[in-house]
Amino acid sequence: MLRAYDLYKAYKMGKASVEVLSGVSLSAKASEFLVILGSSGSGKSTLLHLLGALDIPDKGDVEFQGKSVFQRAKKSRENYRNRDVGFVFQFYHLLPELTVLENVIIPRLIGTPALKWLSHRREAKKEALAMLDRVGLSHRVKHRPNELSGGERQRVAIARALINKPTLLLADEPTGNLDEKIGAEILDLLSEFNSAGQTIIMVTHDARVAVRAHRQVRLVGGKIEKVVPAQPSPALA
Amino acid sequence: MYKWFLAWRYLHTKLIAFFGIASVSLCVAMVLVVMSVMGGFLDTIRERSRGLHSEILLETSSLQGFPFYGEFQEYLADHHADTVSMTTPVIYTYGIFRVPATKYTRPARVVGMRLNEYTQLNDFKQGLHYEHYFPGTTHLGPQRMPVGGIDANQRLVLPKDLEAANARWRESETDVEKKKNYEANPYEMAIYPPYVTTPIYGERVYAFGDDGPGYVGPKNSGVIIGCDMLNERRDDGDFDRFLARGADIAVTLMPISPGGNVTGEPPVRLPLRYVDDSRTGIYEIDDLCIYVDFDMLQHKLAMDPQALADGGMSRARINQMLIGLHDGTDLETGKAVVSAAWEKFLDSLGNKPSLMDVNMLNHTSVMTWEDMQRPFIQAVEKEKVLVTLLFSLISLVAMALVGCVFYMIVEKKTRDIGILKAIGASARGVAGLFVAYALAVGICGAILGTGLGVVFVWNINDIQSFLASLNPQLRVWSPEVYSFDKIPEIVKTWDAIGVAVVAVLASVAGSIIPATIAGRIWPVKALRYE
Ligand SMILES: Nc1ncnc2c1ncn2[C@@H]1O[C@H](COP(=O)(O)OP(=O)(O)OP(=O)(O)O)[C@@H](O)[C@H]1O
Ligand SMILES: [Mg+2]
Repeated sequence: MLRAYDLYKAYKMGKASVEVLSGVSLSAKASEFLVILGSSGSGKSTLLHLLGALDIPDKGDVEFQGKSVFQRAKKSRENYRNRDVGFVFQFYHLLPELTVLENVIIPRLIGTPALKWLSHRREAKKEALAMLDRVGLSHRVKHRPNELSGGERQRVAIARALINKPTLLLADEPTGNLDEKIGAEILDLLSEFNSAGQTIIMVTHDARVAVRAHRQVRLVGGKIEKVVPAQPSPALA
Repeated sequence: MYKWFLAWRYLHTKLIAFFGIASVSLCVAMVLVVMSVMGGFLDTIRERSRGLHSEILLETSSLQGFPFYGEFQEYLADHHADTVSMTTPVIYTYGIFRVPATKYTRPARVVGMRLNEYTQLNDFKQGLHYEHYFPGTTHLGPQRMPVGGIDANQRLVLPKDLEAANARWRESETDVEKKKNYEANPYEMAIYPPYVTTPIYGERVYAFGDDGPGYVGPKNSGVIIGCDMLNERRDDGDFDRFLARGADIAVTLMPISPGGNVTGEPPVRLPLRYVDDSRTGIYEIDDLCIYVDFDMLQHKLAMDPQALADGGMSRARINQMLIGLHDGTDLETGKAVVSAAWEKFLDSLGNKPSLMDVNMLNHTSVMTWEDMQRPFIQAVEKEKVLVTLLFSLISLVAMALVGCVFYMIVEKKTRDIGILKAIGASARGVAGLFVAYALAVGICGAILGTGLGVVFVWNINDIQSFLASLNPQLRVWSPEVYSFDKIPEIVKTWDAIGVAVVAVLASVAGSIIPATIAGRIWPVKALRYE
């Protein structure tokens, strides 16, 4: 479903240029839960951003459902970000002025033309409420993000990422800012969505988190180093 | 859609939006106030200028005047009665004005007019003070000084004819307030004799004697005096009159020969009687002009036919002819008709005019009242444009401020912009969000500013009075200078709409650069760190 070919990415720092990704190739199947492991600074976020088309590679391409992501028109790439993938960030990145419900609805609002929105509004709201219910936040819909705990914020971010029913969910250390217990709850939630068929690619530096995955890959020295076959989760065992 | 939604949300959750709105509304209010006050000033001046002369004027630029006016009046009556309704001759000269009782002297522009004809052609009559309360009693012919007596109730009683005229006014006056004001203080008194003094003064001043109401003194020609020449204007726009109606006035003139030489030896001294004061509303006129009888003045200035050394007679001269048009006649058409008539008339004179006459006729021209007042109106017009321009420039600064405010918002919102882009918003959409935001700020500012400006203009005189009560230095609108009682208080709808629309456009324009910057923000750059 998703394939990355030979991705290169370097950052210029003054005159020097630091190559972060040097030929990363990767693929994910539908309904798979893939974890990309790597130490801090190894370029995990960089890779995930490329997969989500938030950034452009120096070389290489990403193919989504058989179609190149970076050779598309701008408009089509925006649609890709809006509909085909959902993104969950380590730092939640909610819009502080909006309520929880509005934060969840906003991707839908962005993806719907103004005129159509008028007729679609109720339905979108219903779907957003249902989504908040699934992440266990139906009692918080009117709150602002700064009134929520970290775990609650991340749940809102997950709801937002999934509101447009994306084929692929990209999660960049979603538990990185949370304590172990709350982190585990978030991972449970992701696993739950995955069991329901949601494809997930998650990035982490924490091996304990990685065990949730069907499959793990490790990013070392700008390349995918080793592929770990899926193991049963100790928590489930 | 989301841009409107977010713009709306940012508008009432971000404090900084209020700085934008405040600067837009203050600019709108400022420009609107300036435009309204200057515009009102201009309109009043134009309105008053229209009532000053007549539709068309035959003018000479030279002080000795021009001949053949009587013949031309006849010519117009014979040939252009369908266009021209009426004509009247006017003489202009300069003299020294003196009030013998107070030994007060001033330069004056002396206007010789046929009062009953003159008042039919313009608004002169509306500006006469005593004529208003005593209709039919102001005339420029020889007259004595009216004095009042004191009745049993210690009230001033005037001669019977004046009381009768006053009663006529009271009957016809429809403004109850005005009547009540009058009853409260019917005629202020000036003590006379010994002549005119200042212990009592007010709006209507009459002298009184010991023998009861009547007329005293020799019969002198009447003079109407520009209201600012003698009287002191109060802050409320009314006048304090010191001089009694009928007081003696002396005017000294210097006659000018047809060749332009000053001839009078010694200068001509005219004993006159103050019958009324005139207010045209143009300070430059009301502070300079006095009005006397045309025929008397013409004679005293030797502008009537004079015996010449060769046994012939010179021709009578005037300085200006007022020419009225029938109602509904277009001003420029009227001017064209009169100009053509004047040319044709001059041609028809053949070799009748002497060399001197030809010289004088060469200085004449036909004008409309607009032509006549143009330099003055244009000066005010330019002033209006200039002041509006200046204030618009200041507003530009405020628009730059709106740009700054938006730039700051974009800087502060970089992360949010990154988030929006990460979930699929386009560069255009994000830029549009900020333009929409600016539009909202502009509209709020424009509405608020228009409201503020309108309220300010409507209450501008009260505001000024309040400021003046704190410190007299703060009285900026001086009625003595502007000759208006009040600062204009009217806001024109189109002015308000225009200023508001420009303000909205300007704030949108001010947001374009920050909006473009916002649109170019690269999602990862904005999102990388908390
Ligand atoms: N915009 C940038 N300019 C310069 N260098 C950058 C930029 N973004 C990332 N880098 C560098 O690229 C390298 C990889 O960064 P990246 O954020 O992808 O690592 P990461 O594996 O996600 O690390 P972490 O686990 O800390 O999130 C780091 O050394 C980082 O300093
Ligand atoms: Mg990272």
